[in-house]
Amino acid sequence: MIQSAPMKQSLRYDQISCRLQLDGLPDVSAGQSSEAIGILTRWSLEWLGRPQLEGRREHLEALMAAVLPYARHLISGVERPFGDPEAPVSIEPAGEGRGRHRLQLRSSQPGVEPLQLELDDAELADLVRVLDQMRLDPRLQLPLPLPPPRPLRHRELSRRTPLARRLAAPLGGALALGLAAGVAALLPLPPLPAPDGGGRRENLTRPVPPPPPPASLPRR
Amino acid sequence: MTQDLGPTPPDERPLPRRGVERLDLMLLCLEALDFNGGEAMIWLSQQLGYGGLFPNRVELWKRRCHNPLRRVCRRGELAAAETDALIRILCVMADRLYPMLRSLLSGGEPAAVTEHRWELFHHRLGELLRERMNPRRSGIQTLLDAEEGAEERLQLIRSLAFAAGTGGFERMKASLMDAVG
Repeated sequence: MIQSAPMKQSLRYDQISCRLQLDGLPDVSAGQSSEAIGILTRWSLEWLGRPQLEGRREHLEALMAAVLPYARHLISGVERPFGDPEAPVSIEPAGEGRGRHRLQLRSSQPGVEPLQLELDDAELADLVRVLDQMRLDPRLQLPLPLPPPRPLRHRELSRRTPLARRLAAPLGGALALGLAAGVAALLPLPPLPAPDGGGRRENLTRPVPPPPPPASLPRR
Repeated sequence: MTQDLGPTPPDERPLPRRGVERLDLMLLCLEALDFNGGEAMIWLSQQLGYGGLFPNRVELWKRRCHNPLRRVCRRGELAAAETDALIRILCVMADRLYPMLRSLLSGGEPAAVTEHRWELFHHRLGELLRERMNPRRSGIQTLLDAEEGAEERLQLIRSLAFAAGTGGFERMKASLMDAVG
Protein backbone atom coordinates (compact mmCIF):
# COMPACT_ATOMS: atom_id res chain seq x y z
CA MET A 1 0.00 0.00 0.00
CA ILE A 2 1.39 3.35 -0.97
CA GLN A 3 0.75 6.11 1.54
CA SER A 4 1.21 9.68 0.31
CA ALA A 5 3.30 12.01 2.42
CA PRO A 6 1.37 14.85 4.05
CA MET A 7 1.51 18.08 2.09
CA LYS A 8 3.17 21.13 3.57
CA GLN A 9 0.61 23.76 4.52
CA SER A 10 0.89 27.51 4.91
CA LEU A 11 -1.51 29.80 6.73
CA ARG A 12 -1.26 33.55 6.26
CA TYR A 13 -2.88 36.35 8.25
CA ASP A 14 -2.62 39.92 6.98
CA GLN A 15 -3.10 43.30 8.50
CA ILE A 16 -2.05 46.74 7.28
CA SER A 17 1.40 46.79 8.87
CA CYS A 18 2.22 43.12 9.42
CA ARG A 19 1.77 39.64 8.04
CA LEU A 20 1.99 36.41 10.00
CA GLN A 21 2.71 33.20 8.14
CA LEU A 22 2.72 29.70 9.62
CA ASP A 23 4.22 26.72 7.85
CA GLY A 24 3.60 23.20 8.96
CA LEU A 25 2.11 19.82 8.35
CA PRO A 26 -1.11 18.12 9.34
CA ASP A 27 -0.73 15.56 12.07
CA VAL A 28 -2.08 12.57 10.18
CA SER A 29 -1.68 10.29 13.18
CA ALA A 30 -4.19 12.50 15.03
CA GLY A 31 -6.65 12.25 12.16
CA GLN A 32 -6.28 15.85 11.01
CA SER A 33 -7.41 16.86 7.56
CA SER A 34 -4.89 17.68 4.87
CA GLU A 35 -5.68 21.40 5.16
CA ALA A 36 -4.85 21.60 8.86
CA ILE A 37 -1.57 22.39 10.58
CA GLY A 38 -0.87 20.17 13.56
CA ILE A 39 2.90 20.29 13.40
CA LEU A 40 4.42 23.76 13.14
CA THR A 41 7.73 23.81 11.31
CA ARG A 42 8.24 27.56 11.02
CA TRP A 43 6.52 30.88 11.48
CA SER A 44 7.43 34.34 10.29
CA LEU A 45 6.18 37.82 11.03
CA GLU A 46 6.82 40.46 8.41
CA TRP A 47 6.66 44.12 9.34
CA LEU A 48 6.40 47.00 6.96
CA GLY A 49 9.87 48.55 6.90
CA ARG A 50 11.23 46.38 9.69
CA PRO A 51 13.24 43.15 9.88
CA GLN A 52 11.32 39.94 9.51
CA LEU A 53 10.90 37.82 12.62
CA GLU A 54 10.84 34.06 12.57
CA GLY A 55 11.14 31.25 15.01
CA ARG A 56 9.87 28.01 16.37
CA ARG A 57 6.69 27.12 18.16
CA GLU A 58 7.93 28.15 21.61
CA HIS A 59 8.76 31.61 20.28
CA LEU A 60 5.25 31.97 18.89
CA GLU A 61 3.79 30.91 22.23
CA ALA A 62 6.02 33.44 24.01
CA LEU A 63 4.87 36.16 21.58
CA MET A 64 1.22 35.39 22.31
CA ALA A 65 1.80 35.12 26.06
CA ALA A 66 3.36 38.60 26.13
CA VAL A 67 1.36 40.57 23.57
CA LEU A 68 -2.23 39.45 24.21
CA PRO A 69 -2.26 40.05 28.02
CA TYR A 70 -0.48 43.36 27.40
CA ALA A 71 -3.26 44.40 25.01
CA ARG A 72 -5.90 43.24 27.49
CA HIS A 73 -4.39 45.50 30.15
CA LEU A 74 -4.29 48.41 27.71
CA ILE A 75 -8.06 48.10 27.27
CA SER A 76 -8.34 48.83 30.99
CA GLY A 77 -5.87 51.69 30.68
CA VAL A 78 -3.11 49.84 32.54
CA GLU A 79 0.34 49.93 30.98
CA ARG A 80 2.66 47.34 32.49
CA PRO A 81 5.40 45.14 31.06
CA PHE A 82 4.84 41.50 30.18
CA GLY A 83 7.47 38.82 29.66
CA ASP A 84 10.47 38.07 31.85
CA PRO A 85 13.83 39.64 30.95
CA GLU A 86 15.05 36.14 30.07
CA ALA A 87 11.95 35.18 28.11
CA PRO A 88 12.17 34.99 24.31
CA VAL A 89 9.63 37.83 23.99
CA SER A 90 8.76 40.73 26.24
CA ILE A 91 6.82 43.92 25.75
CA GLU A 92 6.68 47.12 27.75
CA PRO A 93 5.58 50.74 27.40
CA ALA A 94 8.20 52.82 25.61
CA GLY A 95 9.07 56.29 26.82
CA GLU A 96 7.04 58.73 28.81
CA GLY A 97 4.27 59.42 26.33
CA ARG A 98 1.44 56.98 25.80
CA GLY A 99 0.90 55.11 22.59
CA ARG A 100 4.40 53.66 22.13
CA HIS A 101 5.37 50.10 22.95
CA ARG A 102 8.73 48.33 22.94
CA LEU A 103 8.73 44.70 21.80
CA GLN A 104 11.94 42.82 22.62
CA LEU A 105 12.84 39.53 21.02
CA ARG A 106 15.75 37.50 22.32
CA SER A 107 17.45 34.85 20.28
CA SER A 108 18.23 31.48 21.82
CA GLN A 109 21.62 31.59 20.08
CA PRO A 110 24.43 32.92 22.28
CA GLY A 111 26.00 36.25 21.44
CA VAL A 112 23.02 37.62 19.54
CA GLU A 113 21.78 40.97 20.77
CA PRO A 114 18.05 41.24 21.51
CA LEU A 115 16.01 42.81 18.75
CA GLN A 116 13.94 45.81 19.80
CA LEU A 117 10.93 47.04 17.90
CA GLU A 118 9.05 50.20 18.79
CA LEU A 119 5.40 50.00 17.85
CA ASP A 120 2.68 52.60 18.00
CA ASP A 121 -0.88 51.79 19.05
CA ALA A 122 -1.97 51.07 15.48
CA GLU A 123 0.89 48.64 14.82
CA LEU A 124 0.31 46.88 18.12
CA ALA A 125 -3.40 46.58 17.32
CA ASP A 126 -2.44 45.03 13.96
CA LEU A 127 -0.23 42.50 15.74
CA VAL A 128 -3.02 41.65 18.19
CA ARG A 129 -5.41 41.12 15.30
CA VAL A 130 -3.13 38.73 13.42
CA LEU A 131 -2.58 36.74 16.62
CA ASP A 132 -6.34 36.65 17.19
CA GLN A 133 -6.95 35.50 13.62
CA MET A 134 -4.37 32.77 14.07
CA ARG A 135 -5.57 31.41 17.39
CA LEU A 136 -9.21 31.36 16.24
CA ASP A 137 -8.45 29.72 12.89
CA PRO A 138 -9.94 26.20 12.92
CA ARG A 139 -7.28 25.06 10.43
CA LEU A 140 -4.59 25.58 13.06
CA GLN A 141 -5.01 22.49 15.20
CA LEU A 142 -2.11 23.22 17.44
CA PRO A 143 -2.61 23.58 21.17
CA LEU A 144 -1.40 27.08 22.05
CA PRO A 145 -1.88 27.49 25.79
CA LEU A 146 -3.11 30.93 26.72
CA PRO A 147 -4.87 31.83 29.98
CA PRO A 148 -8.27 33.47 29.50
CA PRO A 149 -8.43 37.21 30.16
CA ARG A 150 -9.66 38.07 33.63
CA PRO A 151 -10.89 41.24 35.33
CA LEU A 152 -8.26 43.33 37.07
CA ARG A 153 -8.34 43.95 40.79
CA HIS A 154 -8.43 47.37 42.45
CA ARG A 155 -4.72 47.09 43.22
CA GLU A 156 -3.88 46.48 39.56
CA LEU A 157 -6.13 49.29 38.37
CA SER A 158 -4.37 51.79 40.63
CA ARG A 159 -1.35 51.54 38.32
CA ARG A 160 -3.13 53.65 35.72
CA THR A 161 -3.34 56.58 38.13
CA PRO A 162 -0.06 58.50 38.41
CA LEU A 163 1.67 58.18 41.78
CA ALA A 164 1.41 61.93 42.43
CA ARG A 165 -2.36 61.85 41.93
CA ARG A 166 -2.71 58.73 44.08
CA LEU A 167 -0.79 60.36 46.92
CA ALA A 168 -2.44 63.77 46.57
CA ALA A 169 -5.53 63.00 48.68
CA PRO A 170 -3.82 61.32 51.67
CA LEU A 171 -0.98 63.86 51.69
CA GLY A 172 -3.45 66.73 51.43
CA GLY A 173 -5.46 65.30 54.32
CA ALA A 174 -2.37 64.86 56.49
CA LEU A 175 -1.23 68.40 55.68
CA ALA A 176 -4.64 69.86 56.54
CA LEU A 177 -4.68 67.93 59.80
CA GLY A 178 -1.19 69.14 60.70
CA LEU A 179 -2.10 72.75 59.91
CA ALA A 180 -5.26 72.54 61.99
CA ALA A 181 -3.30 71.05 64.89
CA GLY A 182 -0.65 73.81 64.59
CA VAL A 183 -3.23 76.59 64.58
CA ALA A 184 -5.01 75.02 67.54
CA ALA A 185 -1.70 74.85 69.44
CA LEU A 186 -1.13 78.60 68.87
CA LEU A 187 -4.49 79.63 70.31
CA PRO A 188 -4.27 80.89 73.95
CA LEU A 189 -5.70 78.61 76.57
CA PRO A 190 -8.69 79.92 78.57
CA PRO A 191 -7.65 81.28 82.02
CA LEU A 192 -7.93 78.89 84.91
CA PRO A 193 -10.57 79.80 87.52
CA ALA A 194 -9.26 81.62 90.62
CA PRO A 195 -9.14 79.44 93.76
CA ASP A 196 -11.15 81.97 95.84
CA GLY A 197 -13.88 82.00 93.26
CA GLY A 198 -15.48 84.73 91.18
CA GLY A 199 -19.01 85.89 90.78
CA ARG A 200 -20.02 83.04 88.54
CA ARG A 201 -18.31 80.58 90.82
CA GLU A 202 -20.30 81.92 93.81
CA ASN A 203 -23.45 81.34 91.91
CA LEU A 204 -22.40 77.89 90.99
CA THR A 205 -21.31 76.94 94.53
CA ARG A 206 -24.33 78.44 96.27
CA PRO A 207 -25.80 75.78 98.54
CA VAL A 208 -28.80 74.18 96.99
CA PRO A 209 -31.88 74.21 99.22
CA PRO A 210 -32.97 70.76 100.32
CA PRO A 211 -35.78 69.27 98.27
CA PRO A 212 -39.27 69.40 99.80
CA PRO A 213 -40.34 66.30 101.69
CA PRO A 214 -42.36 63.89 99.57
CA ALA A 215 -46.11 64.36 99.89
CA SER A 216 -47.72 61.49 101.71
CA LEU A 217 -50.84 59.98 100.33
CA PRO A 218 -53.90 60.47 102.55
CA ARG A 219 -54.97 57.33 104.28
CA ARG A 220 -58.50 56.15 103.95
CA MET B 1 7.82 40.02 36.89
CA THR B 2 5.26 37.26 36.84
CA GLN B 3 1.92 37.05 35.20
CA ASP B 4 -0.82 36.71 37.77
CA LEU B 5 -3.35 34.45 36.15
CA GLY B 6 -5.99 34.28 38.87
CA PRO B 7 -9.22 32.38 38.64
CA THR B 8 -11.29 32.26 35.49
CA PRO B 9 -14.12 34.75 35.85
CA PRO B 10 -17.60 33.33 35.88
CA ASP B 11 -19.64 34.55 32.94
CA GLU B 12 -22.94 35.04 34.69
CA ARG B 13 -22.04 38.01 36.85
CA PRO B 14 -23.68 41.28 35.81
CA LEU B 15 -21.52 44.13 34.66
CA PRO B 16 -20.68 46.67 37.36
CA ARG B 17 -21.93 50.22 37.04
CA ARG B 18 -18.59 51.45 35.70
CA GLY B 19 -18.59 48.67 33.10
CA VAL B 20 -22.06 49.62 31.87
CA GLU B 21 -20.93 53.24 31.57
CA ARG B 22 -17.87 52.32 29.52
CA LEU B 23 -19.81 49.90 27.32
CA ASP B 24 -22.40 52.53 26.42
CA LEU B 25 -19.73 55.21 25.89
CA MET B 26 -17.83 52.94 23.51
CA LEU B 27 -21.02 52.23 21.57
CA LEU B 28 -21.51 55.99 21.41
CA CYS B 29 -17.95 56.37 20.07
CA LEU B 30 -18.77 53.94 17.28
CA GLU B 31 -21.87 55.98 16.48
CA ALA B 32 -19.65 59.06 16.36
CA LEU B 33 -17.40 57.31 13.83
CA ASP B 34 -20.27 55.95 11.77
CA PHE B 35 -23.26 58.19 11.06
CA ASN B 36 -25.40 55.08 10.51
CA GLY B 37 -24.07 53.41 13.64
CA GLY B 38 -27.48 53.16 15.28
CA GLU B 39 -28.94 51.36 12.27
CA ALA B 40 -25.84 49.18 12.03
CA MET B 41 -26.32 48.03 15.64
CA ILE B 42 -29.88 46.90 14.94
CA TRP B 43 -28.80 45.14 11.76
CA LEU B 44 -25.87 43.47 13.53
CA SER B 45 -28.02 42.29 16.41
CA GLN B 46 -30.25 40.52 13.90
CA GLN B 47 -27.24 39.09 12.05
CA LEU B 48 -25.64 37.83 15.26
CA GLY B 49 -28.86 36.15 16.36
CA TYR B 50 -29.86 38.63 19.07
CA GLY B 51 -33.20 39.49 17.46
CA GLY B 52 -34.97 37.98 20.44
CA LEU B 53 -33.11 40.19 22.92
CA PHE B 54 -33.26 43.37 20.86
CA PRO B 55 -36.17 43.02 18.42
CA ASN B 56 -36.19 46.75 17.66
CA ARG B 57 -34.29 49.94 18.33
CA VAL B 58 -36.42 50.79 21.37
CA GLU B 59 -35.40 47.60 23.17
CA LEU B 60 -31.75 48.24 22.38
CA TRP B 61 -32.10 51.83 23.58
CA LYS B 62 -33.74 50.64 26.81
CA ARG B 63 -30.78 48.37 27.56
CA ARG B 64 -28.30 51.15 26.87
CA CYS B 65 -30.26 53.46 29.17
CA HIS B 66 -28.94 51.47 32.14
CA ASN B 67 -25.90 53.69 31.81
CA PRO B 68 -26.08 56.00 34.85
CA LEU B 69 -24.54 58.82 32.79
CA ARG B 70 -27.61 59.03 30.53
CA ARG B 71 -30.11 61.87 30.72
CA VAL B 72 -32.85 59.27 31.05
CA CYS B 73 -31.49 56.46 33.13
CA ARG B 74 -33.15 53.13 33.93
CA ARG B 75 -32.68 51.36 37.23
CA GLY B 76 -31.87 47.73 37.75
CA GLU B 77 -29.18 45.43 36.42
CA LEU B 78 -28.69 44.17 32.91
CA ALA B 79 -28.72 40.40 32.54
CA ALA B 80 -25.41 38.79 31.59
CA ALA B 81 -26.91 37.56 28.31
CA GLU B 82 -27.86 41.13 27.40
CA THR B 83 -24.45 42.60 28.23
CA ASP B 84 -22.74 39.75 26.37
CA ALA B 85 -24.85 40.54 23.32
CA LEU B 86 -24.01 44.24 23.56
CA ILE B 87 -20.29 43.44 23.89
CA ARG B 88 -20.41 41.15 20.84
CA ILE B 89 -22.17 43.87 18.84
CA LEU B 90 -19.52 46.34 20.04
CA CYS B 91 -16.63 44.09 19.00
CA VAL B 92 -18.09 43.33 15.57
CA MET B 93 -18.82 47.00 14.94
CA ALA B 94 -15.29 47.91 16.05
CA ASP B 95 -14.01 45.30 13.61
CA ARG B 96 -15.97 46.91 10.76
CA LEU B 97 -14.73 50.35 11.71
CA TYR B 98 -11.18 49.19 12.47
CA PRO B 99 -9.60 51.20 9.61
CA MET B 100 -11.01 54.38 11.14
CA LEU B 101 -9.88 53.41 14.64
CA ARG B 102 -6.45 52.60 13.30
CA SER B 103 -6.15 55.87 11.45
CA LEU B 104 -6.83 57.73 14.71
CA LEU B 105 -4.09 55.79 16.51
CA SER B 106 -1.47 55.61 13.80
CA GLY B 107 1.70 57.61 14.26
CA GLY B 108 2.74 57.05 10.68
CA GLU B 109 0.49 59.67 9.15
CA PRO B 110 1.00 63.45 9.04
CA ALA B 111 0.22 65.01 12.39
CA ALA B 112 -2.13 67.57 10.81
CA VAL B 113 -4.25 64.83 9.23
CA THR B 114 -4.48 62.89 12.49
CA GLU B 115 -5.31 66.05 14.39
CA HIS B 116 -8.10 66.88 11.95
CA ARG B 117 -9.54 63.37 12.38
CA TRP B 118 -9.52 63.76 16.15
CA GLU B 119 -11.25 67.13 15.85
CA LEU B 120 -13.99 65.60 13.73
CA PHE B 121 -14.41 62.73 16.15
CA HIS B 122 -14.49 65.10 19.14
CA HIS B 123 -17.10 67.28 17.45
CA ARG B 124 -19.38 64.38 16.57
CA LEU B 125 -18.96 62.68 19.94
CA GLY B 126 -19.71 65.98 21.66
CA GLU B 127 -22.98 66.32 19.74
CA LEU B 128 -24.04 62.81 20.79
CA LEU B 129 -22.98 63.36 24.40
CA ARG B 130 -24.93 66.62 24.68
CA GLU B 131 -27.95 64.98 23.08
CA ARG B 132 -28.08 61.85 25.23
CA MET B 133 -25.99 62.19 28.36
CA ASN B 134 -26.45 64.11 31.58
CA PRO B 135 -24.23 67.19 31.20
CA ARG B 136 -24.04 67.67 34.97
CA ARG B 137 -22.01 64.48 35.41
CA SER B 138 -18.32 65.21 35.80
CA GLY B 139 -17.36 62.32 33.50
CA ILE B 140 -19.42 63.83 30.68
CA GLN B 141 -18.05 67.30 31.30
CA THR B 142 -14.53 65.90 31.08
CA LEU B 143 -15.26 64.08 27.84
CA LEU B 144 -16.73 67.24 26.35
CA ASP B 145 -13.69 69.31 27.27
CA ALA B 146 -11.26 69.62 24.38
CA GLU B 147 -8.13 69.52 26.54
CA GLU B 148 -9.07 67.53 29.63
CA GLY B 149 -11.09 64.94 27.72
CA ALA B 150 -8.42 64.14 25.14
CA GLU B 151 -6.92 61.36 27.25
CA GLU B 152 -10.33 59.81 27.94
CA ARG B 153 -11.30 59.85 24.27
CA LEU B 154 -7.95 58.32 23.32
CA GLN B 155 -8.48 55.56 25.88
CA LEU B 156 -11.94 54.78 24.47
CA ILE B 157 -10.56 54.52 20.93
CA ARG B 158 -7.61 52.39 22.07
CA SER B 159 -9.93 50.03 23.91
CA LEU B 160 -12.04 49.63 20.79
CA ALA B 161 -8.99 48.97 18.59
CA PHE B 162 -7.57 46.31 20.90
CA ALA B 163 -10.93 44.56 21.27
CA ALA B 164 -12.04 44.70 17.63
CA GLY B 165 -13.14 41.41 16.15
CA THR B 166 -14.24 38.07 17.50
CA GLY B 167 -11.04 37.60 19.45
CA GLY B 168 -11.60 40.82 21.34
CA PHE B 169 -14.80 39.75 23.08
CA GLU B 170 -13.10 38.04 26.02
CA ARG B 171 -10.62 40.87 26.48
CA MET B 172 -13.35 43.50 26.41
CA LYS B 173 -15.64 41.59 28.75
CA ALA B 174 -12.83 41.03 31.26
CA SER B 175 -12.02 44.73 31.12
CA LEU B 176 -15.63 45.77 31.68
CA MET B 177 -15.73 43.45 34.70
CA ASP B 178 -12.71 45.13 36.28
CA ALA B 179 -12.68 45.48 40.07
CA VAL B 180 -15.55 43.05 40.56
CA GLY B 181 -15.19 40.55 43.34
